[in-house]
Parts: sequence; C-alpha cells; structure tokens
Amino acid sequence: MNTVDASEHYELGATDLAPSLLTIILDTNPHAWAALEDSLPLSKAVANILVFINAHLACNYANEVAVVASHSQKAAWLYPLSSYKGESADRDGDVSMNAPNGGTPATQTNKYRPFRLVEEQVNRNLKDLLDSTSSEDLRGNTSTMLAGALTLALSNINRRTIAWAEEHGGADLKDTAGEGGTGSGTAPSNRYAADDNDERLQSRILIVSVSGSGDSAHQYIPVMNSIFACQRLHIPIDVCKLSGDAVFLQQACDATKGVYMALSEPRGLLQYLMMAFLPDQRSRRHLVLPTRVDVDFRAACFCHRRVVDVGFVCSICLSIFCEPPPGNICLTCGTSLDPGDYGVKPALLPRKKKKKKRVNGASAAGTPMSTPTPGP
Amino acid sequence: MADSDEEYVGDVTEDEDDLQVAGRDKIGMRKRKQRGGQEWELSRTWETLVEGADGTINSTVEGLLEAGKRKRLLKDTTPLQRGIIRHLILVLDLSQSMSEKDLRPTRYLLTLRYAQEFVREFFEQNPISQLGVLGLRDGLAIRISDMSGNPTEHLTAIQALRPQDPKGLPSLQNGLEMARGALFHTPSHGTREVLVIFGSLLSSDPGDIHQTISTLISDKVRVRIVGLAAQVAICRELCTKTNGGDETAYGVALNEQHFRELMMDVTTPPASYSQKQTASSLLMMGFPSRTVESNPSLCACHSKPSRGGYLCSRCGSKVCSLPAECPSCGLTLILSTHLARSYHHLFPLINWVEVPWRRASQSTACFACGLPFPAVPPEDQWQVTENQTKGMSVSSRYECTVCKNHFCIDCDLFSHEVVHNCPGCQSRTNHRELDAQPANSDGMDMAA
Repeated sequence: MNTVDASEHYELGATDLAPSLLTIILDTNPHAWAALEDSLPLSKAVANILVFINAHLACNYANEVAVVASHSQKAAWLYPLSSYKGESADRDGDVSMNAPNGGTPATQTNKYRPFRLVEEQVNRNLKDLLDSTSSEDLRGNTSTMLAGALTLALSNINRRTIAWAEEHGGADLKDTAGEGGTGSGTAPSNRYAADDNDERLQSRILIVSVSGSGDSAHQYIPVMNSIFACQRLHIPIDVCKLSGDAVFLQQACDATKGVYMALSEPRGLLQYLMMAFLPDQRSRRHLVLPTRVDVDFRAACFCHRRVVDVGFVCSICLSIFCEPPPGNICLTCGTSLDPGDYGVKPALLPRKKKKKKRVNGASAAGTPMSTPTPGP
Repeated sequence: MADSDEEYVGDVTEDEDDLQVAGRDKIGMRKRKQRGGQEWELSRTWETLVEGADGTINSTVEGLLEAGKRKRLLKDTTPLQRGIIRHLILVLDLSQSMSEKDLRPTRYLLTLRYAQEFVREFFEQNPISQLGVLGLRDGLAIRISDMSGNPTEHLTAIQALRPQDPKGLPSLQNGLEMARGALFHTPSHGTREVLVIFGSLLSSDPGDIHQTISTLISDKVRVRIVGLAAQVAICRELCTKTNGGDETAYGVALNEQHFRELMMDVTTPPASYSQKQTASSLLMMGFPSRTVESNPSLCACHSKPSRGGYLCSRCGSKVCSLPAECPSCGLTLILSTHLARSYHHLFPLINWVEVPWRRASQSTACFACGLPFPAVPPEDQWQVTENQTKGMSVSSRYECTVCKNHFCIDCDLFSHEVVHNCPGCQSRTNHRELDAQPANSDGMDMAA
C-alpha cells in the first residue's frame, strides 16, 4: 500500500502544487456595521469580499473557500453549509457538489460555476442570518462570537486537511490517519505538528473585523486557545480591521505570522484585500508583508474581564487578576495567596508607634484632643 | 525471547494499539501496578475480528481505529490544582548499557531523539518553566545544559551528544545529588522535579543512596524514572518515596511507543498533592507591548542601542526581550501569550459522550465540520450494531453535554487535543441563556 501511495504522491508533487483553503471570518456585528454605514455599508463590503473570493478561486482550480459569520449572538457557517436547502443527504464532502440544481436566474447561466455557488450561498445564508436576528438579541449586545467562528473555521480546516490527505495519499496520510490508527497515547504533537512542506493543503484564515476589543474580553481564553491551535498547525491568521482596534487580534497575527492591517480608508476594502491578503503561504515567502511592528500584548483579567497591562498572577494556576482578589483567595483554583509586598505602606508603622506613646502619656481615655501640642 | 516477541508486536500494533502481546521484562510484567496494564498479557487480537456482511473485516478495523482514537481522549478532566511554574532536571543515562539495540536504532540514539522531542513539548506545555539536562556516564554526573527557559539551548546541547558513545557505569546517586544542587535555589512557588531515563540495571554509587533519597524528600524534589530494561528495586523505592507513595511515577518502557508515552506524560504539569507543599504567592506582573521607535535608543537591560523593544508597563523603561524583570522598577515583565498557553490545563474541555441510536436522529451532520453522519437504521437493527466495538459511539456521533451538539470523531479529537474549545459552546451567546432553551437554539444553528 505504501509503495502505491508513494508513487501517486510523487507524481502529484511533480506536476501540481497543493491548493490552498481560504477561510474568511466575517464579523457581522450589526452595531459596528451601523457605525460604518456612511463609508462602507455591509452590502458593499460583502460584494467586495465576494470579488476577493472569486480571485482566490481563480488562482488555482482546486482552491477552496469557506466563510463563517461571527454574529453578535452566534457563529454560523455561510459557506459551505451542510444543511443547505435540505440537500445534505447526498453530499460527499466536496464543496462544489451541494449546489442547488434549479432556480438559477437566467442572467447568471454564463457565470463560472464555483463563483456562482459561493455567491448564491453566501448571500442567501447571510440574509437568513440577519433575518433571524431579533431586536432582543441586539439589545445591549455589542460583542461578536469570534472564538466560536475561529473554532468552527479550524474544525473545517482540520476536516478538509484530513480529507485532502486521504485523497492524495502520501506523507500526510501517514501522519494523520496512520498515527491516529496506532492510537499512541501522547501523539498529538506528532500528529498535528505540521511540517511546512508544500504537499499539504495550505490553509489560512482571514478575519474581517469591525468590533472593538473591549467586547471580546470575555472570550479571552477560547480565543487564545484557537490562536495557539493555529500556531501549532502553521495556519496564519490575517486580520483586516475596518474599525475599532482589537488587542487579541494583534496577538493572533503576531503569533501566527499573519498580516494585520487596520484600514485607514474602509472604502478601499477590495484593493486592500487584493493587494495584502491574496497571496498564499507559498508566495508570501518571497514577499515583504505589510504587518504591524508594534503589538499590543495586554491580557484580560479573569475577575472583571478588563484588559490590563499590569496584573496580579496566581503562581499556582497563572490566572490574571486586575486587583488582588478578595481575601487573597485565587478565584480560579481557590489557593490562598500570599499577596507579598503589594499595598503595604512602609511609612505607617513607625509613625503609629510614635503617636501611641504620646496618647498613652497624655490621656488614657483616648478623648480627642483639639489642638495637639507639637512633640519635643 | 525478547527479539522474537518484538517483531510480533510490530506486526500487531499496525492495527491495534491496546492489544500488545509483548513481555520483555518479566519482573515489570508481574508487578505492573504502574502505567501499562495486566490486560495486555493475554489478549488474543485475532479473536476480536468479526467479518462484516460483505465478508471483509473493514468495518471492524475501522471500529478499532475509532476506538483507539477515542481511548486516548477519555482522560480525566477534573480541574486539578497543578504546579505550572516547574523546575525540572532531565537526567539521561549515558552508560554502556545504553548501547543495547533492543530499542531501535539504539537505546542511546532513541533516548536522545525523544529527549529533544520532550524538550520541545515541555516548553510548549510549560512556557514559563525551567529545564536543565544532566548525563550519567563513567560513574559521574555530567552537566549537559544548565537550568534555563530557552529550549534551543537544550536542543543543541542534546544534539551535541549524538556523535559521542555511551560508556562506563551510571551513578544514580551522583546524578540525583547534582540535580538536587541545581534545584536547590529555585523559588518555593514552583515545583522541583527530576526525570531520569535509566537504561541500566545497576547503579555504582559512592555512598548511601538512601541518604540521598531522604534529603530529596526533605527538599521536596519529586523524582520520576523511565526504565528501559527492567524494573529496578531502588528506582521503585526512590519514585515511591519522593512522590508521596505514588507508584505511577516509575514506568518501564515496553517498546518504543510506550517509551515515548511515558516520557511525554511528564510534560503535563503535575498535580499538587497538598496546598501546603508549595508556598503560593500572588505575583505582580506587567504585560508590556512591543514598540518600534524611529531612532535607536539604549535598552535598560544591556545598555545596547536598539529600535525595537518592550516598554515596562509601570515605569516605561525599555527591555529588549521577554520574559524579564524590569531593571529599574523590578516588575516581572512577561508576554501574556506565555501565560495563556497553559490555560487549557485550568479549564479543560469536558469529555464528550457517545450518542446511542435513540437520540441520533436529531442530527444529520457534524456540527463543526459538516461531515454527514450515517443515517439512523430502523429500530430493529439497533441491537445488532450495538456493542459491536467497545469504546466507540454506535452512531458515530459524540455529544457535548453542555451545548448538546453532535460531532464526529475527528472533530472530537481535534477539539480536545488541539483547540481545547467546544465549537458548539463557543458559537452561541452565553451559557445562561442557552441553558434555558437548549433545544430551540440547536435547531436555529442548523437552520441558519
């Protein structure tokens, strides 16, 4: 079996480059888009992103794309969606196979089929998502489900990577399926440690973000978990920031060597996308990437979800607190902590003693003296 | 005997991991209370194979694969108090017994390879911990690399051992004394651990090793040993006594795979047994941001001109690398990503449960990746497929007990081993609202 796979794999490597999978996480937080209404309405942004997707699909016939919406109260797939129009029964995992057969507008018959499929599904699913958002969902909820969207995106990337490796055999199949099969207890590092060879599916994640940072502080741990997963799998996270500024996204780009761009002019979204975010990992090795040099490394505290730059850390569990927790008991692990020298005022003690002496000498009852005479 | 059994293992483990027929070390086998199990001794792997309806064993093999994947997931998810700031000394046996070829290519080369993997994985899991490496050769303990938090130092030091040959006899006592010396000055809020890879069956010591053991206990040093040959009484005693009576700290490797597992187990931060054992303290730390200036300026730590650097979040002095202590105000400066790496130990993802056919009809595809599940068969066939293979879900669905979504085995593995997030739980607003209406929101997610 190995010889057969190896030869097949060799031929593929010689003739063809591995395709890349682009996962776009679209932040659809209605509050933030409403604030952007003047410069870049959501409809226009989606149109720009669709053009960008088409450009990506056109780069290589085997390129794949996935779109996740990070909405204010949930994260949902926009494309591909398994339960799309109830056709999931005979879906075989191939993204271009779950297309609607009828109902294509006559004007679009000449469109390249993959373009049309993506466009239709994204538009329809986005509309469904926005329609299903009630006003109660929006009230007082300005956050976005970034952690969920990242986790969904990573699950899909994992699925596609396994599927692609199985289809094409070769070294990666041995790593993923074979290693999993022998069931070694602590193989994860081996199993998921991605070699950056060209023969595996190249995945990357692009986050089109509009929400500010304060909103996502409560998702600090899951977001960081996703970032470390990306780092381990060598998946770069690119961030295209239309408004606001997110602390954790800067860390995400820095940790995964992705591109971080805060757009000064949101109207030029398409141009930014095409110029900065289109090259895949293989091309990026030869390019000077536009990215940030100064990175915000602040963390969120566990007690109030504030973003802090100086914090108190429990030495047992490394939980971060913005102030010493009540009673000096760690809120996460329950250890009673020694606060150390923090908050101790060294000047107080000798002065108190001095006062005490005088009070003892003057009046034992401790009545307040109106005008204390200065001491000798 | 050892050799013939080895090959047999190699053949069998292609398909099944948990059914191994090897018994290299008789002593180890008989007394195996520690990791590894007696159930391995007599298991007839061929009897579990059942032909499927089409006359092949594909379905059984697939089931076994899935059960194998699943088995290593079912770990304890109790959030134990763990010592995350660790100080560990890795002691490698470099004596002549390491040139044996029972582990391929040789015990020596394999140990060096796994030691390098161990260093990488250790710093992956314990980013703010310290590690040092020692060797036992010619009756002496030699220093391979000093205590430090930089993995590349250790990796190059271990790599440099490769061309050398193992020789002489090992002295466990010398190694332990040197490790104790290296751990002596470590702060009390961290753990003190020693991991010994011991390939010999003897230790030629200059003095009484029992005295060394009692000083190790009083210094709160925990020793774990991975034996490569057979169980040795003194190792067993050493591990049991320094770990508070816990016998699992000593393991003897059965084969290459088992050796690796035993070593990699140590990378998980150890549970603290009592709260009094370590003096815990609240540390004030700064999380500085990186800046790049247009003109170079001197850094406060080395007085070297540089453009990039990190500004102390309390006093604003510039340091060139992290983690560091601010030279002017003494604040500990650290990257928050270093801390965040270990958070999945604090908040482990709970194990997902298997879904019987009875509840399988509520989902048709994996929530996370969209892989279609096998269709629910008619009710009369449920019993047939049930209990076909243990350890796997009959319906190939695994359910998160919090968000009630169904996932496939690959997403189960991926979520628990890599992401440490549940895709279902993270995809919805907050748990308080969800608990009120779990069924409703499930339907919504699928429809949207």
